[in-house]
Amino acid sequence: MEEVEAEEQQGFSHQQRLKAAVHYTVGCLCNEVASDKEIQFSKQTVAAISELTFRQCEMFAKDLEMFARHAKRNTISTDDVKLLARRSNSLLKYITEKNEEIAQLNLERKAKKKKQAEDANQSSREPAGGE
Amino acid sequence: MADRYRPDSEPTTRTLLQRVLDTADLRTPRRRRSRRTLAQRTFLESPASKRLSSQTKTTTRRRSHGARSVVRLAHVQANGDLEEQTPRTLLKNILLTAPESSIVMPDSVMKPVEVSKVVQSSRQESSQGSLELQLPELEPSLTLAPGLPAPGKRKQRLRLSVFQQEVNQGLTRSQEPPGNADVSSLTSSLSLTFATPLQPQSVKRPGLARRPLTRRAVDIGALLQGLRDNSLASAPPDIVLEDTQPFSQPLVGCSPSVHHSLPHPSHIGIEDTERAVSHRRQSIGPGQQSHISLPCSELQPQPPEVTEAVGSQEVMEARKSKESSEDEDTSGRPAGPELASSTPDLLKTKQPHQFLEPPSLPPGVAVLSSEPLESMPVRLPPRPRTAGPRHHQDPYKAGLSYYAKLFSFYAKMPMEKKALEIVEKCLDKYFQHLCNDLEVFADHAGRKTVKVEDLELLMRRQGLVTDQISLHVLVERHLPLEYRQLLIPCAFTGNSVFPTQ
Repeated sequence: MEEVEAEEQQGFSHQQRLKAAVHYTVGCLCNEVASDKEIQFSKQTVAAISELTFRQCEMFAKDLEMFARHAKRNTISTDDVKLLARRSNSLLKYITEKNEEIAQLNLERKAKKKKQAEDANQSSREPAGGE
Repeated sequence: MADRYRPDSEPTTRTLLQRVLDTADLRTPRRRRSRRTLAQRTFLESPASKRLSSQTKTTTRRRSHGARSVVRLAHVQANGDLEEQTPRTLLKNILLTAPESSIVMPDSVMKPVEVSKVVQSSRQESSQGSLELQLPELEPSLTLAPGLPAPGKRKQRLRLSVFQQEVNQGLTRSQEPPGNADVSSLTSSLSLTFATPLQPQSVKRPGLARRPLTRRAVDIGALLQGLRDNSLASAPPDIVLEDTQPFSQPLVGCSPSVHHSLPHPSHIGIEDTERAVSHRRQSIGPGQQSHISLPCSELQPQPPEVTEAVGSQEVMEARKSKESSEDEDTSGRPAGPELASSTPDLLKTKQPHQFLEPPSLPPGVAVLSSEPLESMPVRLPPRPRTAGPRHHQDPYKAGLSYYAKLFSFYAKMPMEKKALEIVEKCLDKYFQHLCNDLEVFADHAGRKTVKVEDLELLMRRQGLVTDQISLHVLVERHLPLEYRQLLIPCAFTGNSVFPTQ
């Protein structure tokens, strides 16, 4: 009983900390936009936006988990994220671009690794052959 | 009343009380308060409460009983004052005033009047100090309508009309004396009607009342006249055989009129025949829409459009109007339900809400034709329709008219045309989104067919399916058995499970 309560409290405090972090980030972003567009953001607005973001993140997480389970996977992949973002076109485009970039990076890394591995093999073979 | 002939041996409460009262000596003074009620009294030969009536039988000595009952009723009245009443007197009152049962003689039909009156006046007398004890006894005795024979002992059938009249008379008369609240409530509860009651319509909001169906008879003469007019326009066999075609006859001087009953030849009537023949529900919307829109622009409908419209109907059937363009057909849609409502006889699949459409019609609407009526008796097999060029805009939007009609039905208020249009727009977007999602979900799972899992995922996103409520629960709640069998695995004979998992 006490353990459960303690856990709950811990979870709650954890959540609060996360919320605070989100709030801080939202505040920073709002300040940027304010300086950019020369418009003021009231504190209530910032608070509202941060609360909204937090709740939306919760929904996203649940949806992503559902999507992954729907595809009979255990890990959330980029496909799930793309499915999630399909509503807003700009966001979808952005995400697909990023995805492609990451895919390219991965390929490059793989290629590099292969090269390194080959080099290592060659180098190991040569001395072996040499010996 | 103790000397009443009671063949059955088992003592009832009534008889017991009676004996007690008769044997013991009276303590209260006898006083006769009112004479007027005496004059109205006659023999209380009327069915009593269910409990008592089942035990008693008729007596032959009416007069004596009458006198006795009168006397006793006088006692009842006399003992109306609170301070004079003892439990004994109360019991006596109960016994006296509870109507006794009797085998029904023709006179008994008259009796309920007096009975209710008697009870009335006795209650009135004792109204000042109307004790609780009296009331509940009287009420059950009155709940069974006076005049109704004892349930188990009916030996003569009452004529319902006569009975009803008598009861109403009795009730109206009994309502004359200035009312007890109890009495009036009782009498109102007794008001019987054997006719089916009209739908209760609250007076406060007349707008919510449903308009009664106005069916107008078809004028045969006008019908034949219209046929003749039609036959002049095009070849007769075309009309007869191609009654499913919407635009087989161009009307010269076809003035668009709003009236439903006059059978004028028009394309719309043919729609109805198609409907009647093909037993389709969805064709009402799309067919009429596409057909009505055209005459608005041109009076001369042409065969290719006819076939096209027909083909569009078929297309509509196949599709479920999920994907459509954003095209607005303002005149067509509201006209659809109007025209549909004007052929109630022809529609085999009726949609009751169609009749509730607001009567406002666009000016371009033509009237129903005699065609459908002619084709029905002829009963020719429907011609194989040729699929013409698809009308991309109308059928998509047309299928939504069904849902718009449902919407207006459940709104219970007359709706503007514009409101309906916007509703259709919203529905259009909604269905587009829905099917898009389903397609994407199926793709996400690496499949090409949409399956139940995709729908479950969709409903989860919608919030209908939660961790507490599963899809099966919703299916059980809302779907009829036929659909439920398809969805939820059920074991059948031979230990076979359908649908197999």
